[in-house]
Amino acid sequence: MGPLIDALPFSYTVSVIALGAAVLGLTAGVLGTLAVLRQRTLVGDALAHATLPGVCVAFIATGAKDASTLLIGAGAFGLIGALLVVGLERSGRTRPDAAIGVMLSSFFALGIVLLTYIGSLNESGQAGLESYLFGQAAGLVERDVTIMAVLGLGALAVVAALFRPLKSTLFDIDHAAAGGLPVRALEVVMTALLVVAIVIGVRTVGAILMVAMLVVPAAAARQLTGRLAGVLVLAGLIGATVGVTGALLSAQSGLPTGPVIVLVGFLVVLACLLLAPGRGVLWRARKLARDRRRLLVEGVLIDLETALHGGPPPTQRELALASGRPRRALRRALRDLERTGALARDGERIYLSESGAASVHAVLERRDLWSAWLEHGWRLELPDAREPDPRDLRASLGDEHADRLRALAAEARS
Amino acid sequence: MSADEVPLHSGGGAPALEVRRLTVSYETRPVLWDVDASFPTGALSAIVGPNGAGKSTLLRAALGLIPADAGQALVQGHPARAALDRVAFVPQRDAVDWDFPITVREVVEMGRYPVRGWLRRLTGEDRAIVDDALERVGMGPFARRQIGRLSGGQRQRVFIARALARQAPVMLLDEPFAGIDARTEATLLDLLRELRAEGRSIVVVHHDLGTVRASFDWALVLNVRAVACGPVSEVIVPQTLRRAYGTDAVEDGAEAEELRWVR
Repeated sequence: MGPLIDALPFSYTVSVIALGAAVLGLTAGVLGTLAVLRQRTLVGDALAHATLPGVCVAFIATGAKDASTLLIGAGAFGLIGALLVVGLERSGRTRPDAAIGVMLSSFFALGIVLLTYIGSLNESGQAGLESYLFGQAAGLVERDVTIMAVLGLGALAVVAALFRPLKSTLFDIDHAAAGGLPVRALEVVMTALLVVAIVIGVRTVGAILMVAMLVVPAAAARQLTGRLAGVLVLAGLIGATVGVTGALLSAQSGLPTGPVIVLVGFLVVLACLLLAPGRGVLWRARKLARDRRRLLVEGVLIDLETALHGGPPPTQRELALASGRPRRALRRALRDLERTGALARDGERIYLSESGAASVHAVLERRDLWSAWLEHGWRLELPDAREPDPRDLRASLGDEHADRLRALAAEARS
Repeated sequence: MSADEVPLHSGGGAPALEVRRLTVSYETRPVLWDVDASFPTGALSAIVGPNGAGKSTLLRAALGLIPADAGQALVQGHPARAALDRVAFVPQRDAVDWDFPITVREVVEMGRYPVRGWLRRLTGEDRAIVDDALERVGMGPFARRQIGRLSGGQRQRVFIARALARQAPVMLLDEPFAGIDARTEATLLDLLRELRAEGRSIVVVHHDLGTVRASFDWALVLNVRAVACGPVSEVIVPQTLRRAYGTDAVEDGAEAEELRWVR
């Protein structure tokens, strides 16, 4: 760790904290993703809470306050919690979420009772242990970070080595089992890895909020990519970034580390949910609004063409009456059409310009083609699973099929 | 042994899939009761029966995905658990999370993992097989698409491509035609017939007696117990259907079936 710490542009203490937070964020991000994809995030939460009594029992048993002894206790109780959750679920007596709720609160209650008991033993004895509730980055020393790094890298190496079996099990457990994969064992491995991630992080982030470090990076990364390898790598990077930012902020401000890290993570997830290209909420909303606007404009074009076909150019009021569209929508569509030069006006009266007539023609042709697809599409016997796009059928079918479709429709009409 | 080395007919005279005295229970209620059935090599076979008849359970128990109380399953004459490399399984579509971060191509590649070895990298040969499987189900143009953005029919095509990539002599499909469009169903049925012509043995859990009558060779009529098992023309007949579906339902059901058959 020494050379790494020297290489960072911070003081020694801050460098240790930053490194520790990076290791914990990276590990929790990657291993948490496995839990999120199995829809087992609440199990992660229960296991994190279960580590608290583990830390207390380890302290009572040994009297030692060094992190590694206490973390062994945390890990042991995490595993016991995992076994109990799985056992309760498999018993079939309770639903999984109820089983998890029971375990989570019971372990946490036991932890609080033990913490209070330790406090009553000795005034100064408890000092330090309560930091396992909300997390404390400031107390990290170089030796802790070394242990965290060894554990974390080991866990990541397991994920890398078992990547394909894990991916297969996560995606389709029946198919994986039918292919001869020991899926139960792999599930145990994933739960054990989850415990490792929690043990690494619990001292810095705290038992209550540890679940956020497991979920936040996965949720953010999932918005940015559609491939498992990508999600794992990005979740690791996001976890590390969030961890370091939060830990440094907390160390400077004296605020508890867990909450600060989690709030930073929340901002990252929020940004990804809103802004992720192609998947983000804002991105989709914009696309939806555009599509709707385009449909509206095309509809108004056809309304206008129909009105012109049946009589003199209508006024805006007449067009609204004839089409039955809300005034505001009509006004907007006409404004859009005017801007593209599709309209011409004669006082109050509206008619189509030359380019407007051309776009009406194009829209009508697209609609005809779509009707022809609905009626005769099956006769094309498309060779593959391609899907027709109602917005642009010609492009999605290809010219050859589109022409055949028109021929089929014409044949049927005659 | 890798699947390409398994000759399609290596079971000798043994059936592609056989279950003997198979009994499976959930809690204490048996969902399969003492079922004997066999599905011949090189045939397109169906497992039919009413809802809750244990059709899917039979496939899953045969593959060892759920424990059986009694009985055994044989694939080409070998105990099924030891012969998994001869079987390609297509589970029900709704069993997986379709928002999973994975592309169409990656799903099909999973069909190669057990053949190549779970920890090995795929080779150029594997990639060619994956390409070929995608082409055969008509999903070539969608290889890079995220699976969440597929229709139900396209998802089924992907699942079948994954089974094709497995290149196993026996293929077991669980309700592949439930809730998919007619065009996909026709395409996939053609594909299954092609596979049969290549000598593969195919067993499909299916609910539409009309298609079974029209396109399948062999059928097991199941309702917890095996009602009948044999060539379609002998098995999909009013007497056995009445026994499987229950008397009242049958009169209506049979009429409805007749209507569908003459269409």
